[in-house]
Amino acid sequence: MNRRRFFQVSAGAAVGVSVSGWLQALAADTAKNPQRRRSCILLWMNGGPTQTDTFDMKPGHANGGPLKPIKTTAPGLEISEVFPKLAQQGKHLAVIRSMATKEGDHGRATYLMRTGTLPQGAIQYPYIGSLIGKELSPPDAELPDVVAVAPFRFFNFGAFSSGFLGPRFSPLIIGESAFGQAAQPGFNYEQFLKVSDMDRPGDVDPAHHNARVDLLRDMERDFSRGRPDTPALSHQAAYERAVRMMKSEAARAFKLDEESDKLRDRYGRNLFGQGCLLARRLVERGVPFVEVTLGSVPGAPAGWDTHGNNFDQVKALCGVLDPAWSSLIDDLRQRGLLDNTLVVWMGEFGRTPKINRGNGRDHYPNAWTTVLAGGGIKGGQTIGRTSAGGESVEERPVSTPDLLATVCRGLGIDYEKQNQSNVGRPIRIVDKSARPITEIL
Amino acid sequence: MRFSIIAALVAGLLWSPTAKADPSDAVVKKVNGHIASAWKANQVSPAQRADDAEFMRRVYLDLIGRIPPVKEVRDFLDNTDPNKRSKLIDDLLFGKPDETGKRNGSAGYVAHFGNIWRREWLPQSMSNPQFQFFGPQFESWMRKQLQNNTPYDRIVRDIVTAQPFGAQGQTPDTQALSAFLFVNENKPENVAASVSRMFLGVKIECAQCHDHPFETWTRNQFWEFASFFAGLQPTGMARRLPAEAVEIRSLTIPDLNKKVSAKFLDGKEPLFQDRVSSRVTLMDWMSAKGNPYFARNAVNRMWAYFFGAGLIDPLDEPGEQNPPSHPQLLEDLSQAFTASGYDLKFLIRVIVSSDAYQLSSADPKASASTERNFARMRVRGLTPEQLFDSLVSATYYRDMQMPNQRQFVAPNSARGEFLAKFSTTERLSDVQTSILQALTLMNGKLVSDLTSTDVRRSELLAGVLDTPFFNTEQKIETLYLAVVTRKPTPDELRRLTGYVDKGGATGDSRKALADVFWALLNSSEFAFNH
Repeated sequence: MNRRRFFQVSAGAAVGVSVSGWLQALAADTAKNPQRRRSCILLWMNGGPTQTDTFDMKPGHANGGPLKPIKTTAPGLEISEVFPKLAQQGKHLAVIRSMATKEGDHGRATYLMRTGTLPQGAIQYPYIGSLIGKELSPPDAELPDVVAVAPFRFFNFGAFSSGFLGPRFSPLIIGESAFGQAAQPGFNYEQFLKVSDMDRPGDVDPAHHNARVDLLRDMERDFSRGRPDTPALSHQAAYERAVRMMKSEAARAFKLDEESDKLRDRYGRNLFGQGCLLARRLVERGVPFVEVTLGSVPGAPAGWDTHGNNFDQVKALCGVLDPAWSSLIDDLRQRGLLDNTLVVWMGEFGRTPKINRGNGRDHYPNAWTTVLAGGGIKGGQTIGRTSAGGESVEERPVSTPDLLATVCRGLGIDYEKQNQSNVGRPIRIVDKSARPITEIL
Repeated sequence: MRFSIIAALVAGLLWSPTAKADPSDAVVKKVNGHIASAWKANQVSPAQRADDAEFMRRVYLDLIGRIPPVKEVRDFLDNTDPNKRSKLIDDLLFGKPDETGKRNGSAGYVAHFGNIWRREWLPQSMSNPQFQFFGPQFESWMRKQLQNNTPYDRIVRDIVTAQPFGAQGQTPDTQALSAFLFVNENKPENVAASVSRMFLGVKIECAQCHDHPFETWTRNQFWEFASFFAGLQPTGMARRLPAEAVEIRSLTIPDLNKKVSAKFLDGKEPLFQDRVSSRVTLMDWMSAKGNPYFARNAVNRMWAYFFGAGLIDPLDEPGEQNPPSHPQLLEDLSQAFTASGYDLKFLIRVIVSSDAYQLSSADPKASASTERNFARMRVRGLTPEQLFDSLVSATYYRDMQMPNQRQFVAPNSARGEFLAKFSTTERLSDVQTSILQALTLMNGKLVSDLTSTDVRRSELLAGVLDTPFFNTEQKIETLYLAVVTRKPTPDELRRLTGYVDKGGATGDSRKALADVFWALLNSSEFAFNH
């Protein structure tokens, strides 16, 4: 598709969208149900997941590879045989087959997909987790608003940062050092899903603890005078949040052993599976944004970055992904949480439709796939279309801002709202070029 | 045991001055001049000069990676020698003079900068378990270079032209050196991107996949530069080839099927020597006199280490969009560094002797323009190593290992656990405390032990509590000196003496003193360099 055609298509998609219309609808809705507050769970596919072997299959084409499509519970929606369980949830899935971005470098693409923009000079863009966390933060939040389970920040630290929103909305990161280890058989994932040192030392009672924290507050107040630096501000914010969490009943979310063995087995007894279960427990307790990263697993040590031996690695990854994701959707639905919880599946880019000489697939941002399910999304459908070989988008190209704006609208967030940035000018939650995918909202 | 601690806490030692003409004075003057004229031109008024305590803490952390113990703080604050700051700098960089006045090296400097350079050049080895085993090897090698004060260009040459891992006849040293290539998977494009970014201060890898409309570097240029590494055999490929095929000096740009050959960043054609790796030729160009990137990058990165921001920042995106804040300073300092024979200690000494480095971090008038003008010292994060070793220094923690004996990989040690929990490869100026770290410092076993009134668990606190001739004020002062390297202000002293004498929340003044210690160890003032 040439540039002009791209603009025609994206402009066309905007016709008939009235921002005020849906905002009014949302307001009415909130009035009806004042308790209603939505959450987002991002399943982050680190390394860039292949679309051709998962959601945009090309059977019969040379690019197709050995994996076969299967039917789902949504009429006409076919996905890869590596997802036998997810296929049962097909009616909840909105599969966007026409992602068209421009960045093929892990670091820059990770930043792009998670902040909605490429790195630009001095502006520290917040990532989507912090943006959503801020908008949906419950006024009396005891738990952090943003939780990242097993992230791999090394590609781009800024892509996991609250940026100019400040340390108040930076993610609680757990299980970070698991990357690499998670690929080893017999890996002990339990320790990576715990928040350690949450309890006061045995010989310190609550009043004693409060007295200590008060002493500390005095010291912090004195030190921060004339020192407006991020590290020190983040220190104070982290302590305030930690103290609040220590006192919180909601911190039981981390006690996964409160769940039945049967349910835990269904999610999969591994870091990602149990991370998804943790995400559900956090969302249940009002946390607005939780992300769970699927990186290295046994058989795929580099996660989705399958430059070589793609098909075996995809099978290994989906062996973990399929039970976890499908259980998450089903579990949320059974608890009446699915309508209020938007589950996003994406990575930093897709992979080449063409299979390389090492039986692998390389980075490919031109035409790839993301999937939305749950809260505010009409499932059981596909958006966009790629060419016969999957090399280009032929219908309804979706940009990063388009996707993020769609996510925001699904969550009832006004994505055109502006936050004050660190360079002194207001910046929208999502860039003004965004055209949300109204077909699935 | 207890007695020696008490002695250490109260003893004072007289300074033995050894005056020496300072060859770097002229350069320091130039640096000060450039900074001051920019203040004037931009109408910025700098923060006050840091007092002795603030300076001492900063320069200890920056040069040897930990805060000073109480005894040394008292000595320094009491010392009336007007040259005591420059003498302290020399003590930390070159070691304290012995009876004959000879300085025999500084184990603290060697250990700390070994770690700092590893963070800088092998960040993968800090975060990726796949590469972790290379870290200690490389760090050991780096320590040897720092011990001998090997010139910077020589160090970089050894790294850039190192034998790839698995080459024939490797020694422990050459194996340690392969680390750089190995963490870049021996891939021409990865190694090229790292070499360009880390040693030339130029980020060209964005041009790897396609040209960017507003960037200086083209895709062609990227692959031409990568061609210097074309002979390397990427790891993980099941090919039985030599680790480097030196005759290969060109690459094909993926997807374009276009072949390009090695070319320098300035567009000049290299003259290769027969059967000599292209990397040697590249290194000759990099370190040649007049190379516009090599020395400037080193100076800029070193500046950024000490100030939390470079003269060019982002560090690796030079160009019209991102000009240096003080071009002439960068120029002069780069020339002086080159003229010194790429002497790292010379460069460090100039920077920490400068007026800008010795400004306070607290400035009520602080604004964005103060930052860009280096008119106030920024608050910077500590590496996990700095934080742990400072905890040890502040508390006389029993497992205290002298810096030169520090173990690298001791997963079951308190240090190993701590480093794992606090590990980060973020820029230190951007480091944020996490909720998990706050919990560890508030409730974790290490700090709980160190702030316990049980004398078997806390060496320093027990010493302070049991010193018979200390009153409450002196006890509090000692804790302040130990943890935040300064005396408490009169206001703090009044507030805290009241708290302790009343017995705090428990009615036990010993526990209340422990609370003060606990709060200090959890404070920003302790957790950061400022």
